Amino acid sequence: MENTSQVPVTVLTGFLGAGKTTLLNRILTEQHGRKYAVIVNEFGEQGIDNDLVVDADEEVFEMNNGCICCTVRGDLIRILSGLMKRADKLDAIIVETTGLADPAPVAQTFFVDQDVADRTKLDAIVTVADAVHLSSQLVDHHEAEEQIAFADVILLNKVELVEDNDIVKVNDRIRKINPFAKIIKTTRCDAPLDEIVGLNAFSLDRVLDIEPDFLESDHDHEHDDDVTSLSFVSDTPLDMDKFQDWFGNLLRTKGQDILRSKGILNFKGEEERYVFQGVHMLMDASPMGPWPKGKDRSSRVVFIGRDLDNMNLKEGFENCKSA
Amino acid sequence: MNADLEKLQESNKTELERRGSIFNIGAPATEAVTIRDQIAVGFGDGTVRFFQSGSDPKTVKAHKGVVLSMTNYEDHVLTGGDDGRFLKISSDGNIEEIFNFGSKWVDCVASHKDTKVCSSGKTVYIWTKNKDKPQTLEHQSTVAGLAFDNKGKRLAVSRYGGVTVWKLNNNKWTASNFTWKGSHGTVTFSPDTKYIVTAMQENQIHGWRINDKADLAMRGYPSKIKSFTWVGDTPYLVTSGSSDAVCWPFDGKEGPMGRKPIVVANCGKELATFVKALNGEKAVFTGFTDGSVLLAEIDESKKPIMIRSSTGSEVSTIAISSDNSQILIGDMKGSILLSSLWADN
Repeated sequence: MENTSQVPVTVLTGFLGAGKTTLLNRILTEQHGRKYAVIVNEFGEQGIDNDLVVDADEEVFEMNNGCICCTVRGDLIRILSGLMKRADKLDAIIVETTGLADPAPVAQTFFVDQDVADRTKLDAIVTVADAVHLSSQLVDHHEAEEQIAFADVILLNKVELVEDNDIVKVNDRIRKINPFAKIIKTTRCDAPLDEIVGLNAFSLDRVLDIEPDFLESDHDHEHDDDVTSLSFVSDTPLDMDKFQDWFGNLLRTKGQDILRSKGILNFKGEEERYVFQGVHMLMDASPMGPWPKGKDRSSRVVFIGRDLDNMNLKEGFENCKSA
Repeated sequence: MNADLEKLQESNKTELERRGSIFNIGAPATEAVTIRDQIAVGFGDGTVRFFQSGSDPKTVKAHKGVVLSMTNYEDHVLTGGDDGRFLKISSDGNIEEIFNFGSKWVDCVASHKDTKVCSSGKTVYIWTKNKDKPQTLEHQSTVAGLAFDNKGKRLAVSRYGGVTVWKLNNNKWTASNFTWKGSHGTVTFSPDTKYIVTAMQENQIHGWRINDKADLAMRGYPSKIKSFTWVGDTPYLVTSGSSDAVCWPFDGKEGPMGRKPIVVANCGKELATFVKALNGEKAVFTGFTDGSVLLAEIDESKKPIMIRSSTGSEVSTIAISSDNSQILIGDMKGSILLSSLWADN
């Protein structure tokens, strides 16, 4: 294959009016010395005019491979392959999705399509949330929940318009859906660009950043289709065969409801840490070097999804403990 | 570079590399077409360069970004770019803008005699002689491939979910749909126009027998099929996407149905990325991920000939001059080999 390195791609989600265009204009106009291409949606907000802006139509394609989760963005495959033929090398590509689009097909495109995977890599999913309206959007639109659930970074924008105690409430609401995203509070999306682009959030070693002190959550919620998260920790080493059986079957049968999953695993008899992360039923996993000396070898897994209570996750995870 | 290494590299050169010319353009070669004794190549820097044996290429600054698509049209080339422009270009550098789609890409182009066609988004635009305004054909999703049959009476348009074949009757286009789940890219008619075949987003090609819409699913590839070409009188549809050139027989009533393909031009662990028929022969040039190119007869008992050695960059285009005398090979790093095919030329 080519010796060229993969171009990082940031997926930018968020409802109309949250401030995505403000952020895109910053990315395109600030003097950062880098070359970014921006793929925007034809139904998105107007007001961006630049040679490196590409119109996309958010066409979601089902792959013909029998996997119900394998919807991809067909237009993205076409556009990324076109951008990769450019003579000048791009430092990064930003893909904007409309408020009502499900971010999963975008993320899956980077797992499923070999040409895309060879030349580009998913860098992070960044969600711009409107601090004023997020709470009501989460009630009215399940897409808003999904955008929060999928995110690696959440820009909680327009915080200047909200009282401090309301910001705390919104923050808590986000945390219930997504315990690992980095939340940056902004006014006019004024976060430094290097906290948004070039994060490498999908590389497996970033999974190691998962905080070990998640509570084994016992959550309350209003609807069964709410997106929530659950995390589990075990100090007892896991049995690799048992884990693979349980986890493989879980993703196969419940992958549609599990939006994201991440974990660091301590297998009995193995010196190395194992890490994984998944988007729906697609998963990436690898050994990731020895455990740091003097630190606990505890396994920890996080799931974000719908209807997690009915998946017997706790029991399943407990059953993977080695005898 | 050390002298021994240089000598070694020289000795590893193929016969065609020794007698040919190598040009390093520095931008990926995206498309190549033959116009009389010249070969026009589109590049990722927006240029179209006209190559001719014995002289330096003529460079035309055509598009701002990438030349996405190209075809020949009378003595010109038609190009579509990611700057939204659909252009008609002559080898002396004359550019005529046929249409400007602004921020929308011109993904595909096609032509037949004096008819010029391009696609942008879900729409196909057709310019016929003496008409300023194009006819438009709408589709349910973005157009990913265009092909005329050899008479120019039918235009195949590939898209998500299959192919629309438009038929021209009394100046009106009527549609017939060929359906197969998945996303369809490059499309071609068989030379006898009995079949249409597409390269899919999955690692497979799909065909239909036109008269009864019978499906032909050709699977088992380790990677996407980026290129195919019709070879010989049988004819064979030869495809990239595997470690060999995979040759499907399209003779008889059933074509490749229930038959195994012939595989030639094995290149070890490299995958074929571009295939091109040698006109009038039962032989095919196959370019690979490492830049090497083999010439093979469609005969598993014959050994292929190395035409171009590895450059480290995948072969993205191959073209043969119309008199079969010259071959041009281009790769994703923008290295071009132009050479005479025959020793006595």
